[in-house]
Amino acid sequence: MTAALEADGVEVWLGRRATSRILDGVGLTAPAGQIVGLIGETGSGKTTLARAIAGLAPLHAGAVRVDGVPVSGLRGAELRRFRRTGRVQYVFQDPLRSLDPDLTVAESVAEGLAVRGDGRAADRRTAAVAALRLVGLDPALGDRLPGQISGGQRQRVTLARALAVGPRVLLLDEPVSALDAANRNHVLRVLDRLRRERELAIVLITHDLGSLAGVADRIVVLHHGRVVEEGPATQVLLAPEHPYTQRLIASVPSIDGPRPIYARSTT
Amino acid sequence: MRALRLAVRLPSARVALAVLGVVVVLMAVGEWLAPYDPLHQDTTAILAGPSAEHWLGTDYVGRDVLSRLLAGSRLSVIAAAEAVGLGLLLGVLPGLASVYLGRVFEWLSLRVMDGLMALPFIIFAIAVAALLGNGLHQAMFAVGVLLAPTFYRVTRAAAGGLRQAQYVEAATLFGATRWRIVRTHVWQKVLPTVVVTTATAMAGALLVVSSLTFLGIGVQPPAPTWGGMLASDLGYLSQRPFGPLAPALLIIVTVAALNALADAITVDPATSTKEAHDAVRR
Repeated sequence: MTAALEADGVEVWLGRRATSRILDGVGLTAPAGQIVGLIGETGSGKTTLARAIAGLAPLHAGAVRVDGVPVSGLRGAELRRFRRTGRVQYVFQDPLRSLDPDLTVAESVAEGLAVRGDGRAADRRTAAVAALRLVGLDPALGDRLPGQISGGQRQRVTLARALAVGPRVLLLDEPVSALDAANRNHVLRVLDRLRRERELAIVLITHDLGSLAGVADRIVVLHHGRVVEEGPATQVLLAPEHPYTQRLIASVPSIDGPRPIYARSTT
Repeated sequence: MRALRLAVRLPSARVALAVLGVVVVLMAVGEWLAPYDPLHQDTTAILAGPSAEHWLGTDYVGRDVLSRLLAGSRLSVIAAAEAVGLGLLLGVLPGLASVYLGRVFEWLSLRVMDGLMALPFIIFAIAVAALLGNGLHQAMFAVGVLLAPTFYRVTRAAAGGLRQAQYVEAATLFGATRWRIVRTHVWQKVLPTVVVTTATAMAGALLVVSSLTFLGIGVQPPAPTWGGMLASDLGYLSQRPFGPLAPALLIIVTVAALNALADAITVDPATSTKEAHDAVRR
């Protein structure tokens, strides 16, 4: 079966020299209906990988396929046409900066639909309201500006904006890092439900290993721009093989001292 | 737009708008409000002081100062607006395009603007007058062209900062065209900066019209302008010391109103909140 998202040998260079390489032949596969956790310390290349997959960072080498169709070679009008299908969506880490301060929540959520010319303004508004409900937000927030809602609400608004266009692949960059426990669990539950109901392939970037426990199907560990370990979530979290993964998991703070994160899973 | 709407709440902005409203009214109907023909010379009342007949006195050939001020409003303001309008057109559009139309246009437009910035103003104005003839429109063309780099730079700086904004990237991921991105996400953020620059440029252009008239470029005598009156009145200070006061006051008040309006909206659009405006008010 073809995975919803396949990335092979992805290389991203900051400059022209090989020393500026940020990602070195990274591969990532996300089947439909699964959550793939992408972990690694700050600077390991997690965000760059997600941006490269989304087409926001240029690939030096490698290929990205969505539902088996190569998309990394698309340019100009062809790329715009593909993007308007909304099949790959990216949820940015900082919800305040990723929402236009001058657009209302409903306008932001409906933007993807407006770009591809779906329905009339009233239809798009209805779709935006549905997307807000989907992530557990009160539709009345639709008339507010991003600066007038809380951080947790903003994060869910960015999720609703991505979901409104009906994506196949959802790239989430630290979606719960700035949230309190209640909001974090809520967002994770929404993601868990969506991947089952909508057969979404989700790539969940995080340095908070606790947020992956019980949610991720597979985990990919990135270190210095390379994949050092990959496998089922339980295996990577409970019995990590690579020394870097072992260090990463052991470094998770705990009241009782270091222990496997999966053992103190969230609800 | 929010920054503009919030600015109007400030008392200074309201006063500035009221003053500018009066100037616009003067511009529109000043000629008809003038009690005398602004070109009529009364040789029996040369350099006369204020009186019931001539409220602001007369000039060195006996023309009524109030009538000339009122009649000159249109020419002065239109001249400044013409120059600023041209500067806006030649600066804002290339400024936006330099950010979104690729590196070739960016490089070319930057070099053109660098070239314009290197031109000495007076020499350029004289050269334009020599090439196209000495007249108001020619002089304002010269001023407008030289104002363009200012608009280009501020627009480019404001728009360039938004190129990597995450909401712009989100729109890009939706397949939005550059035009749509500029229209939806960039223009609203750039507009307050452009408005501020326009206000200050208008103030500057009013003074430039005056200085060019002083040099005999642009508006030709006997057509009245505020700057021209100021220049001619300065030559008769010993006989009529208060002479330049009225045109100078008009220029100063208009320039101050434009600057006050500009100040009121000088708030970063990304952080334009009521609190920020309250801080300005304090």
